[in-house]
Amino acid sequence: MNNTATMKAAAAGAPAQESGEIRLVGITKQFGNSYAVRDINLTIPHGSYCCLLGPSGCGKTTILRMIAGHETPTSGEVWIGDQMVVGKPPVERGTAMMFQSYALFPHLSILDNVAFYLKMRGVGKEERRSRAEDMLRRVQLDHFKDRMPAQLSGGQQQRVALARSLITNPKVLLLDEPLSALDEFLRLRMRGELKSLQNELGITFVHVTHTQPEAIALADMVVVMDTGRIDQADTANMIFDKPETPYVARFMGGQNVLTGTVEKGAAGRLRLKTAAGTVIEAASGSAPEGSPLSISVRRDRIDLARKETLPAGAVNALAGRVVATEYQGSYVKVTIDIGSDLFVANVSDSAYFKDPADVGDHVVASWQAETVHLLRKVDSGETGASYLEGGH
Amino acid sequence: MSASHSYGPRPWTFYALAALFTLFVIFLYGPMIAVLVLSFQGPSGSLVFPLRDPSLMWFDELFNPRRTGDVMGALGRSLPLAVLVMILTVLISVTAGFAFRRRFRGATIIFYTAIASLIIPGLVLSIGTLVTFKYLGLRAAWYTSALGAHLSWSLPFGLLIMFAILGRLSPSYEEAAYDLGASKWQTVKNVVVPIVFPGMIAVALFGFTLSYDEFPRSWLTVGTKNTLPLEIWTMTTNVTSPALYALGTVTTVVSFIVIAIALGSIVIIQRKRSRGK
Repeated sequence: MNNTATMKAAAAGAPAQESGEIRLVGITKQFGNSYAVRDINLTIPHGSYCCLLGPSGCGKTTILRMIAGHETPTSGEVWIGDQMVVGKPPVERGTAMMFQSYALFPHLSILDNVAFYLKMRGVGKEERRSRAEDMLRRVQLDHFKDRMPAQLSGGQQQRVALARSLITNPKVLLLDEPLSALDEFLRLRMRGELKSLQNELGITFVHVTHTQPEAIALADMVVVMDTGRIDQADTANMIFDKPETPYVARFMGGQNVLTGTVEKGAAGRLRLKTAAGTVIEAASGSAPEGSPLSISVRRDRIDLARKETLPAGAVNALAGRVVATEYQGSYVKVTIDIGSDLFVANVSDSAYFKDPADVGDHVVASWQAETVHLLRKVDSGETGASYLEGGH
Repeated sequence: MSASHSYGPRPWTFYALAALFTLFVIFLYGPMIAVLVLSFQGPSGSLVFPLRDPSLMWFDELFNPRRTGDVMGALGRSLPLAVLVMILTVLISVTAGFAFRRRFRGATIIFYTAIASLIIPGLVLSIGTLVTFKYLGLRAAWYTSALGAHLSWSLPFGLLIMFAILGRLSPSYEEAAYDLGASKWQTVKNVVVPIVFPGMIAVALFGFTLSYDEFPRSWLTVGTKNTLPLEIWTMTTNVTSPALYALGTVTTVVSFIVIAIALGSIVIIQRKRSRGK
């Protein structure tokens, strides 16, 4: 699909682009006695692709709707560019929202759906039809202009919804789980299209999703949310590689979280021991002796060896029994029962098939001290526990 | 449709239920067909089968009354009453449906108060209306007391239908309209009403037929001049000719025409939506 280059031209009809920076200052939203989000502070830079990521009910959609103007914060301020927008309708905010189910008007043709904004503004019939047709041509659906929404496939409906949003010339495009209604094949394709569209339009995209790979693939900035608050807001790489909390580490997947007590270690090394007796050494960082500490180790940085028991005095290694193996193509996901918890190693296919470990086999997992990443919070084992198996 | 191929022979319950359904259809349409046929009875025929020398004489009798009652006059009251009830039912049900969509204080109590008139016996309501009108010194007539009594019957149905329709109307349509700069009024005019229009036709259909066929709520409320169902009732007691059947045929045809118009327009709208213009 090469429609995005031309779509830029449509949106570029605007005079000098105003800033689409979004600033949320102390935002709280209450429904009755419960908080949907609480004291949120977040700045989304102009022209960035931002993904709000979290499980359902974490408040990510509420934040999106407050930016859009479909929900009013109980307290706090929403700024877009240099405008405080609370109380203003979407059109004055310069935002456009694409709804989860696209919300195409079922009684209007594709052309009339796209032209709806212009009609509401009293643009004459000839002009609005030709402008809507231009916009449809840019999403390569102009030959469907007289069809009704029900006659289009999910992917086509989504492009119509995009065209309908972009005809308002927004500074900020808000997308509420835009890919969740599509099948896997279409999801990957539309994901690519969204990304290149954002690149070429240069406006701010805020995209709500509960799918980790989607967020990582798309976002310049990933905001990971847990029940009403932001756990970490950073680049996709930092979120995945250097999570700050056990919750983020677990929710993003790809990490093993271990918790222990800090002990006296060698010079320049941080040493801790878990309740199960595993000794961990980190190449950097420091923490007071005797304090609890959680660390994470990436699943794909684990070496596996078929061994019955752990050698005495082993560091950064633990023994367990394989309970599941999942072939993923380029790697094999090996789940190991280490007694207290499950530990996952993603072993490259070439390494795995040299000596394949089967379910029931005893293995020793080990890793380098350099790969041990210290978490800012101690794992309580509660928040995010149910997302333990999220992601890969 | 080859269920018997994939699931083996049909169980005996299939035949039992098929027989039950056949009986149901006979009871539903049998009387109607009997009346339809006997309305073409000839001069030498009687009130019962067989049909002798088929003719249209009883239809002629109906429209140029010599012995029958004031059928055309009754129709002239029943039709405008039904249309009036239909219009008011649509207006009130639709606006009330929207009001109930955003929860307000006392919504539940008002809803149950409105629905309660469904369980009050029609004859009781008829007597009550008459007594109240007498007490207030008002004159009962089809366009006052009967109109009110009919609305008490049609509004709960209209309201329930609108609830079902608006319950399925996703709020995201209205939000999308707001997002695209539509005002409240533009949203109603350009988005909401067009989407729920088939439902509004259903409400109109109910309003019309409930009023057009109504007997108990008309009984004491129409005043001195009868509506059609009351006229038919009067005729059964003092007209002993197949003109009665002719009347039955004519009123049924009117009902069918109204239903056909309503359903036809719903089908046309939906076809337009699914196939494009």
